[in-house]
Amino acid sequence: MTLHQLDLSEVTKPVADARGLPNEFYTSPEIFELEKQKVFFPGWAAIGFTSDVPTNGYAKPMTFLGQPLLLVRDHQGDVRVFQNVCRHRGMILVEEAGPIKKAIRCPYHSWCYELDGRLRTTPHVGGPGTNRHDLIKREELGLLEVRSHIWMGMVFVNLDGKADPFEVHNAEILERYKEFTADLFVCGPESHLTIEVNANWKLAIENGAEAYHLPWVHPGLNSYSRLEDHYSMECPGKFSGQGSTVYSPMLSDDGRQFPDFAGLSEKWDTGSEYPMYFPNAMIGFHRNQFWGFIVEPVSHDRSVEHVQIFYADPSVSGEDWREMRQTNAENWREIFAEDIFVVEGMQKGRSASMFDGGKFSPAMDGPTHCFHEFIARSIQS
Amino acid sequence: MTSPEALNAAILMAHDDEDTATLVNLYAQAADQAEESGDIDAACFFLTQAYVFALDSGHSMAPYLHQRLLSHGREE
Repeated sequence: MTLHQLDLSEVTKPVADARGLPNEFYTSPEIFELEKQKVFFPGWAAIGFTSDVPTNGYAKPMTFLGQPLLLVRDHQGDVRVFQNVCRHRGMILVEEAGPIKKAIRCPYHSWCYELDGRLRTTPHVGGPGTNRHDLIKREELGLLEVRSHIWMGMVFVNLDGKADPFEVHNAEILERYKEFTADLFVCGPESHLTIEVNANWKLAIENGAEAYHLPWVHPGLNSYSRLEDHYSMECPGKFSGQGSTVYSPMLSDDGRQFPDFAGLSEKWDTGSEYPMYFPNAMIGFHRNQFWGFIVEPVSHDRSVEHVQIFYADPSVSGEDWREMRQTNAENWREIFAEDIFVVEGMQKGRSASMFDGGKFSPAMDGPTHCFHEFIARSIQS
Repeated sequence: MTSPEALNAAILMAHDDEDTATLVNLYAQAADQAEESGDIDAACFFLTQAYVFALDSGHSMAPYLHQRLLSHGREE
């Protein structure tokens, strides 16, 4: 089925009348390719964390939506994203994550680049022993830099280079969370989780968007975070999600809590929010911890979820917090793991030829519908 | 002075070992020998090899090698 044969008018109706996205949005490689062009490339997609490049001079190659990218922290500490290809013959430059001592050297003809992307030398380009040529203008042949932006420890890219600046494109979510300006700290290796799921990337976002499933899929939450303690958020075209009014920070055996972020208002004393940043990130805001949950679309039916937990104070990396850190990470891992069967189950369900996209609860599914509408309008644009 | 044959063998061994620090030193030696014999093209070839591996490994000789190539009009 081609896009022209898909009727998306049902998707963009108000939630009470709408149907969900057609099956093909989950089962079709062609629609997946279209989403790259229409959803991901024109927007600001989340690709990773600043902690993926932990030290100055560190580089991490990654493939995102088929694009070979190179995440680099240069020698000044600035995080940049380049296309991971040499300007000479298009050779992949870096195959493994690790420190770059001085220059990025192409393994083919050894053109060398600075970590800020400048072309440093072009050996033998003018003949043996001559590293210059009048027609090889180094200032025009630096690494191809991808527009990137850092927010809350996450790295976002605009792959088509045409989007509004990140701050403009995402003004609404930046305004909502403007209190969160304090530094974030990665503490302990257990604070990073990677979860592979056999499901379309959108299903992870859709599942995170609504609180409706919590009593059934996460019964452990019922005792302290009941369904009625949650509320929905919808910002059409930008983000949707859920919040809770009863966040209660965990205590250690001796009654300690993780340190709070500075400068937060009273709302966050007992509040937590989980916006789905469109298109591909879920974010967990709490007064004393923050996490990013980036969904990497691998194919139409496979995704990888990358989670990084951040804390408010570097002291949390200490040995005296280790047990509590591990417990906290394990609690989140359990919750995220509990979601796998529904995400994968919905993927399998999308093979049901008579399924019509699904009927939303007007009361509970607003955030999911908001995301579907974003996808449908992006595809139609 | 190391014979050209011995130097070549050492360079090949360093390539096999991916020992970039040694490659910098050996290619620089080869450049010196070529320059002493008056073969500037060969010297610059070896200097280039040494310079690239110096950049790759963060070797302290990189600025010196760059300067030598510049003096021969072979670098920017």
